[in-house]
Amino acid sequence: MSVFEHDYRPYDGPTTPLRTRPLVLARYGLSEAWGSKITVGLAVLALLPCVVDLVLMYLADNPVAKMLVVGGSKVLEINEKFFFGVLETQCWFALVLAAWIAPRLISFDLGDNALPILLSHPVSRFGYVLGKFIALALSLSYVTWIPLLVLFVYQCYASPVPWAMSHLGIAFGLVAGAAVWIVVLSLIGLAVSSWVKWRVIATGAMFAVIFVPAGIGGIASAILRTKWGLLLNVPVVMSELWQRLIGAPDVFRGKMDLPMPAIVGVLIAASLACVAVLNARIRAREVVRG
Amino acid sequence: MGVIALDRLEVRLGGRTVLNGLTGELRGHAVGLLGPNGAGKSTLINTLLGFHEPSGGNAKVLGLDARTDRMRIRQSVGYMPENDSFIGNMSGVRFVRYMAELSGLPPAAALERAHEALFYVGLGEVRYRKISTYSLGMKQLIKLAQALAHGPKLLILDEPTNGLDPTARQRMVQLIKDIRKEGSMHMLISSHLLRDIDETCDEVLILNKGRIAAISNIEEERRSHRNFIEMEMTGNTEAFAGKMQAIGCECARFAGGRVKVVMPDALSQRDLYMAASETGAEIRRIQTRRDSLEDIFLRAMEYEGQARPSQPQAVAAGMKG
Repeated sequence: MSVFEHDYRPYDGPTTPLRTRPLVLARYGLSEAWGSKITVGLAVLALLPCVVDLVLMYLADNPVAKMLVVGGSKVLEINEKFFFGVLETQCWFALVLAAWIAPRLISFDLGDNALPILLSHPVSRFGYVLGKFIALALSLSYVTWIPLLVLFVYQCYASPVPWAMSHLGIAFGLVAGAAVWIVVLSLIGLAVSSWVKWRVIATGAMFAVIFVPAGIGGIASAILRTKWGLLLNVPVVMSELWQRLIGAPDVFRGKMDLPMPAIVGVLIAASLACVAVLNARIRAREVVRG
Repeated sequence: MGVIALDRLEVRLGGRTVLNGLTGELRGHAVGLLGPNGAGKSTLINTLLGFHEPSGGNAKVLGLDARTDRMRIRQSVGYMPENDSFIGNMSGVRFVRYMAELSGLPPAAALERAHEALFYVGLGEVRYRKISTYSLGMKQLIKLAQALAHGPKLLILDEPTNGLDPTARQRMVQLIKDIRKEGSMHMLISSHLLRDIDETCDEVLILNKGRIAAISNIEEERRSHRNFIEMEMTGNTEAFAGKMQAIGCECARFAGGRVKVVMPDALSQRDLYMAASETGAEIRRIQTRRDSLEDIFLRAMEYEGQARPSQPQAVAAGMKG
């Protein structure tokens, strides 16, 4: 083909490896997600708590500033509990961001029936979901483990006493806790978006998927007088997990004390359910039975 | 090696057998895929692309197994789906570039080819507009552009003129003819519009109820049926058809008293009138013409009907398939 001659010519140039095709989907997904001003606004908003935390860390690590602002109080102690709070805050901002971005990644494709044309190219259904997953996971990383690690590194640098070596577990907990949340959130986001074609409804449905089971679980726990209903409560389950990963004190101890295998089991079950939904919905062609 | 080779291909979907034992080899440069609605045309295309798993037999595209080499097939194929399928939120050039990159072109080459493809199909001036603002004809063209952009070896067009007005249809047909003339890629064009296939293809695969009703080289068919006569008759056309077969003609009867006859060179039109006179039939209209794709299609449909007693009995007799 030639723009000037308007005729066709075959392509005989190089081609990229098959395994990199999901990255094309990821790149275009990221572009689509971050092309919205609302996404940028939410991301900026999500970083504000980190800025506040950074100021608090500065105050805690600078004796003069600390004395001037809060006197001799121990309120500003930077420890596992502090980072647990930061992780929790950022992860809930990640939920808001995921609820906005995930439908943009998939609902456009489903709404315009783009799957037949997308999947007619050398990319599998798994590759398609992987590409979208990478785009969402990278977007969520921007408000979770990346700023959290930056805060941790700053604390290591700014602490007047040797701090880093004795608190390396926090860094692991931050990355692992955020990673688990990103995986679960991304799968839920993609599954809900693939199920609900309309973006606004998909955004609402994401919150519903997180909080409605929590309400049901709470009712079940109250009626049956058992703690197991809390396993449906994603916020509680994740808080338990983050707390244990970071090594923060047991703020909920005695109230629920869910066993770790049960927490992991719930998260795996939720993820598998999302994979099943994606497997059912992400198809080039639907087969009508009968 | 054929472009597409089918070996007892069977596809079952939702508990129904949609394609039933298809066997044949397509070698044409532009192959038409014809059949009434529900014949299995789109299912065959979807199976060739690997969207549906064959439940029996196998299919090869450009020598690659549709069951095991899906990715390599898709790498070599450009596909224009029947229904609207695009990302309306994207500009035309971005969409085509996206599709070209998915087919393996590096980003810079994909962008260059996207511009070229859009100019080639006639969307150069609107390439920066969002696809959702395109007219139906433009949407058809952008599907063609994305199918062409990566330079496929086989172009699969599923109902390319679907929903187009006569001008847009003519433009699409002309584009297909140009691509065929250029000669670097094969084409498989699915349509239920005989005229489209007639104008663009040199070989035709006719499907009916999930079976192959005919595989035919259109040009050869035309050449072999030069002495072809179409008549409108009243009276005992059944006896007339029998008489014509008895004297060595191929004869087929259709609804409304239409009768088509292929006569050996030794016979003349006088023999027609004599046969009509002897059998009590009346010839109301007579026309000598070349065999058309419509005739090939109708004949294939009739034969398919004859092959299965449960279907309404066909009236065609004696014509070769």
